[in-house]
Amino acid sequence: MRLVCESVGHRYGSLDVLDGIGLTVADGECVAVVGPSGCGKSTLLGIMGGLVEPAAGRVYFEGTAPAGSLNPITYVFQDFALLPWRSVAANVSLALEHHPLDAREREARVADALARTGLGEFRDAFPKQLSGGMRQRVGIARALAVSPAILLMDEPLSALDAQTRELLMEDFLALWLAARTTSVYVTHNLHEALRLADRICVLSRRPGRIKQIVAVGIPQAERAASAAAREMSILADRLWAAVREEAIDAEREIAHG
Amino acid sequence: MIRLSRRAAVAGALAALSAPSVLRAQTLRKTSVGVLRLSSSGPVFIAAERGYWREAGLDVELKFFTAAQQVPVAVTSGDTEFGVTGLTASFFNLAGKGALKIVASQSREAKGFPLVAYMVTNAAYEKGFRSVRDFAGKRVGITTTGSTFHYELGLLAKKYGFDLSAVTLVPLQTLPNMQAAFKGGQVDAILAPVTLARALTADGSGRILAWAGDETPWQLGALFTSPRAIAEKRDVVERFVRGYLRGTSDFNAAFNQRDAAGNEVRGTNFAETIGVVARAVQQAPELVAVGLPFVDALGRLDVGDIYNQIAFWQQAGLVGKDVTGKEIVDLSFVRGHLNVPKN
Amino acid sequence: MPNARSHMDDRRPVPFRGGGFSPMPVRYAAAIGFAVLLAIWELAVRRGLVSPIFLPAPSTIVAALGDLWRAGTLWQHVSQSLVRLAGGWCLGTAAGLAAGLLMGVWSLGRAVGVPFVSALFPIPKISLLPLLILWLGIGEASKIATIALGVFFPTAIAAYTAIDAVPRNLIRMAQSFGLPAGDVLRKIVLPGALPGILAGFRISTSIALILLVSAEMIGAQYGIGAFVLQAGNLMLTDQLLAGVLLISLLGLMLGAGLGRLERHLLRWR
Repeated sequence: MRLVCESVGHRYGSLDVLDGIGLTVADGECVAVVGPSGCGKSTLLGIMGGLVEPAAGRVYFEGTAPAGSLNPITYVFQDFALLPWRSVAANVSLALEHHPLDAREREARVADALARTGLGEFRDAFPKQLSGGMRQRVGIARALAVSPAILLMDEPLSALDAQTRELLMEDFLALWLAARTTSVYVTHNLHEALRLADRICVLSRRPGRIKQIVAVGIPQAERAASAAAREMSILADRLWAAVREEAIDAEREIAHG
Repeated sequence: MIRLSRRAAVAGALAALSAPSVLRAQTLRKTSVGVLRLSSSGPVFIAAERGYWREAGLDVELKFFTAAQQVPVAVTSGDTEFGVTGLTASFFNLAGKGALKIVASQSREAKGFPLVAYMVTNAAYEKGFRSVRDFAGKRVGITTTGSTFHYELGLLAKKYGFDLSAVTLVPLQTLPNMQAAFKGGQVDAILAPVTLARALTADGSGRILAWAGDETPWQLGALFTSPRAIAEKRDVVERFVRGYLRGTSDFNAAFNQRDAAGNEVRGTNFAETIGVVARAVQQAPELVAVGLPFVDALGRLDVGDIYNQIAFWQQAGLVGKDVTGKEIVDLSFVRGHLNVPKN
Repeated sequence: MPNARSHMDDRRPVPFRGGGFSPMPVRYAAAIGFAVLLAIWELAVRRGLVSPIFLPAPSTIVAALGDLWRAGTLWQHVSQSLVRLAGGWCLGTAAGLAAGLLMGVWSLGRAVGVPFVSALFPIPKISLLPLLILWLGIGEASKIATIALGVFFPTAIAAYTAIDAVPRNLIRMAQSFGLPAGDVLRKIVLPGALPGILAGFRISTSIALILLVSAEMIGAQYGIGAFVLQAGNLMLTDQLLAGVLLISLLGLMLGAGLGRLERHLLRWR
């Protein structure tokens, strides 16, 4: 499925946060959205998934969801958004319980999602017993269980420490390469964007407008190889150059109130 | 001793006429009495206002309380040296533990003195509850178990030979609660103080069957102090009683006079005396004049009734079996007590 | 070499400076402290240092309880009070939870309910007794209503604040998975508010016990509150304290029961 934003804008009170965002995410494509803090990245993602009502413009999804997709547009949250009173398996099953599935199919989906995220032996644990990385795995498993057609990921790794982030990124990449689900990945971490995205959309400081869209020409599976190191480094520099000015301005703006 | 008190009396008389003097503060013995702002404590107010205690060499501070059971507690705890209030089961429980001794009378329920009414609701009246003989099987609102109302019903049961245990006593704690239960028909009858009784008949919510004073006269209240005070400063107690008895005498002379037909007659100094009481109870004189109780001019106690009260509470299981009338009444301060039991 | 030696001479252990300020549980300390206090109390009364009128000895209080037990009225008092407590608490809790839920999730409910509840909460329920008697009579209804009224307000406020404190991101998460509103309420809002609601239960059970004495002011023949009240009116201080002891025992038992319920329902914490 494709996701189309048509001149999306948003404001909180008198504060303009997004302006004229036009973006199409192609079927099977992963687009990363980067930008300085406060540029409206997360708001954009909220508008894309129907959790925030845009002040201007519209968002469409096109095409038919694959068979068995229960929740075409599905989120993975920065803070995991797990229910502390539910076990791992029950947190995953929450996304399925209101669908007309028989118990066997539901259980099969839960088990499959837990197996794919390496949570098989933690199914009865409560979130507080898990490390941050394991908790986000539950968040991912919950998203996988509903077979999404479009995945919206809001800084999914930024609440984790550096090593966990690296490990989870590897798993994440493998999962994504296996399914190639249409995805939007919001992050402030350029490294993550470069690892995962087909295209990287740089937003300006507030109000967020699309400043630049950088296409990464190297297939995701080859980006870590040393052969790609030079090209990746050039891309990283280009990206940083685009983000840097915005980040400096944004910081000044915040500092000066 | 005599010289001193005479000098004190002179000083007191002078002080009553002119500005307070240093002399008075030095020579008057300080003491205190706990009272409620009720007309039954009139003798106390009169004695204070007219300087009877000052003439007896005492500087008496009046400490006001809001419920009858607080006064004996105050005397027990030493907050006041004397107390004047109605007698309840609570009083006898404290007195029985050696904390209190009765020395003179306060008010008495007496014929021709409407203080407490037996009131029935209109509904109960319609159903045939028309006489004070009909209490058996009825629901009767009182303040508390062990209150003066409770005892008055006991006296009534004895007089007319009905079984008090056949009457459902409903303790409602406060007069407003009793009034609400009466108006709402939750009880068939209540015992109502005169002001409440008049209000309830005026708005047509019930009828007065009879007055407790007419049916069952008894010793309602008393002046008391602690046994320690009697043992250690007998002269203070004696002087206090002397002043107090001048108050009872004035009270009786002003308010308790009746003509041959038993009708109320305004006695000596009526207007001025009612002014004294009205100021103390903080009510209009006309209102005070409606509910004036009988107070024995000589402060004499109906001793037999006090013994009877103790026996009644003991039988009801509300007062310890070890309490005896002999131990809690001191007959030596007032002469000529009434109805004194032989043993 | 001389250098090394001088170092040895200067060597001192680093003194320990931490510790303290972190009270540890001491076993049996509470029980021993309590026992010592009781012993001092008992001795003080027996030696005549304290008059039994002002403070009856613990043994006298226990004896007063024993008298009640032998007279067969103890259970009558306790059972009648328990019925009133249970009835009033359940009624007040059900109504309070419903009101708290309305104020927690519904804008109009909050706009109307919060000022209403805040205005009525501080009213001493005792002052309404004459009204309650007029409305409901002097039977069980007015006693249960007194307790229910006392329980209602803190429960409503606890439920409302607890629902308010449920993280909104969890609700957004549920919506993003397409959970219907009823499911959001049942699976997210209510379980999320449960800790706050249970904490409110601790307050409301205490208030129910406090109001027991007020409730039983209204023409009660039996009940711990009525017993305490009568003992107070009669200045029977040993019975008074025996009744107070019963109420505090009841409070301890209810508190322990709630503790177990919390541990069971909130074991995920």
